[in-house]
Amino acid sequence: MSAFLLLKRMLETRLPRPSVQWFRDACTEITDGVDDVRFAGLVAMASRHARDSTPLAPSADELKRANETLEGWNPERWGLLEALRAALVLTRSDLDDDRGVLAVESLFAFADEGEQRALYRVLPLVPSPERFAARAGEGCRTNIPPVFEAVVLDSPFAVRHFDDGAWNQAVIKAVFLGVPLWRLFGLDTRLGPELARMALDLVDERRSAHRDVQPELWLCLGEHGGARGTEALLKELDASNSNTMGRCAAAYALARAGEGERLVECMENEADSVVRAAMQEALDGNVASTVFRKLRPEEGA
Amino acid sequence: MRFFDPHIHVTSRTTDDLENMAAAGVRAVIEPAFWLGQPRTRVGSFVDYFNSLIGWERFRASQFGISHFCAIGLNSKEANNEGLAKEVLELVPRFALKEGVVAIGEIGFDEITQAEEFAYSEQVSFAKDHDMVVMVHSPHRDKKRGIIRSLDIAKEIGLPMAHLVIDHNTEETVKETLDAGAWAAFTIYPHTKMGSERMVDLIEQYGPERMIVDSSADWGVSDPLSVPKTAKRMVERGLDARTVELTTWQNALDAYAQSGQIDVEALLQKPAIDQTQLFADNSVLRGQAPRVDAPVPN
Ligand SMILES: [Zn+2]
Repeated sequence: MSAFLLLKRMLETRLPRPSVQWFRDACTEITDGVDDVRFAGLVAMASRHARDSTPLAPSADELKRANETLEGWNPERWGLLEALRAALVLTRSDLDDDRGVLAVESLFAFADEGEQRALYRVLPLVPSPERFAARAGEGCRTNIPPVFEAVVLDSPFAVRHFDDGAWNQAVIKAVFLGVPLWRLFGLDTRLGPELARMALDLVDERRSAHRDVQPELWLCLGEHGGARGTEALLKELDASNSNTMGRCAAAYALARAGEGERLVECMENEADSVVRAAMQEALDGNVASTVFRKLRPEEGA
Repeated sequence: MRFFDPHIHVTSRTTDDLENMAAAGVRAVIEPAFWLGQPRTRVGSFVDYFNSLIGWERFRASQFGISHFCAIGLNSKEANNEGLAKEVLELVPRFALKEGVVAIGEIGFDEITQAEEFAYSEQVSFAKDHDMVVMVHSPHRDKKRGIIRSLDIAKEIGLPMAHLVIDHNTEETVKETLDAGAWAAFTIYPHTKMGSERMVDLIEQYGPERMIVDSSADWGVSDPLSVPKTAKRMVERGLDARTVELTTWQNALDAYAQSGQIDVEALLQKPAIDQTQLFADNSVLRGQAPRVDAPVPN
């Protein structure tokens, strides 16, 4: 099933009836051909038919279908209005030629915050998404965390279409902004020495400033941290560190680095049951980036 | 108490102001597009300005639990640069239909010229065609004539008077505005336009219906706490709670919610300040609560 059809089905079961009619009419109008101003007007006025505060709330089955449509596309946290706007964009039949690209770029030029989120979320779903790599890079320069999240999280865009420089910047910026890095699809497939070095420099900076290291920062090391990485992790894991989530993260990261033996040693003297549990889980091999979800208070950690 | 300041240029205010506003109970604001203290020379400056009103400023206010709405329009002063004005008027439809844009504004008269009248009429027509509210800036000089002209033109075009808010009223203009059926807004400005004391006198005289208090705080000497301060004065002078609520919250909400661009249900919920956004290193709050009595914390 195409992304458009899946979104259309989700919208038709969720929007109030008059809004479903508005959506169908808008699709017909777009298919018949509209100028850029009218197209932008339709995308803007979608806010009169779905509130930004209403979640899309896809079912488990819909999430499965989304991932089948495009691996890494996860609309779990989309809003209903974002889905409506994304569907309007995907309605265009000219997205694979220059005309469609110009129309989408014109939307970006005048987009408010909610529209920006919707547009960045739809980018991995359009034909030849790589044509929008520079635009997505621009999105990463935002100072508005929800817009940044729309560019990089729950989407395969970054891992597939960012060059190494943009990728590393996006990962480190995610840590900086405190957005949940574990939701960056494909993170574990694109770790490397340069990213590990950037992360370790950031660790030094935080420690010099006497600030806690963000637990997800340790995700950036993988097996590329070397001796410097191991040393930093052992320091984080030390019982003198009062940041429990940071210690748990270091346990996972030590296992991710292939330092299981060190972890076994640490576990022998570990008194904190929360940290012990994380160590055990890490030794059991549950160390994919998504395990860091457990370290987020808002996820029920 | 909760307050709605339906006219404030937050772009020009610091995070200290936003913090103080939130602490004083300001829960929602409207930022009308205006001039920036000096004229712009390129249409691109307007594109970026309008973009900031629907993007960055909305987000900045939200970090303090304040809902930010805006009005889009070409102001009267810059309407006099006719070449540029034409370009900006073509731009207005690209922004006016956005979520959270609750009015066309602030538009109206400054020197009461032909060019100003053209821009005003064009924008009122757009508002009428799109079922929108209009926020009118009334001139400092020859105010009464400016207001009467604004009311007459809107009537000729056929904009419902319930969709018209006339701002910067004084003792001399309030009767015309109310008699026409429009909403009468008052800017509480230190030293000049209208003080809290005079405002309370006016509310006592005319009653609270269709009367709206705002700060119009901007880049000049002005007070972003004008609305809560005036509410306090009303209470001290024994006005009833309903009067205070109408003039500092409900009337503004009723007037601008006619746009369909205010999620009233979401607004009435307790403001949620997202801690993960609040302490983001690279957004406006950097994990510090600035206080003068303590050294700068990490
Ligand atoms: Zn103003």
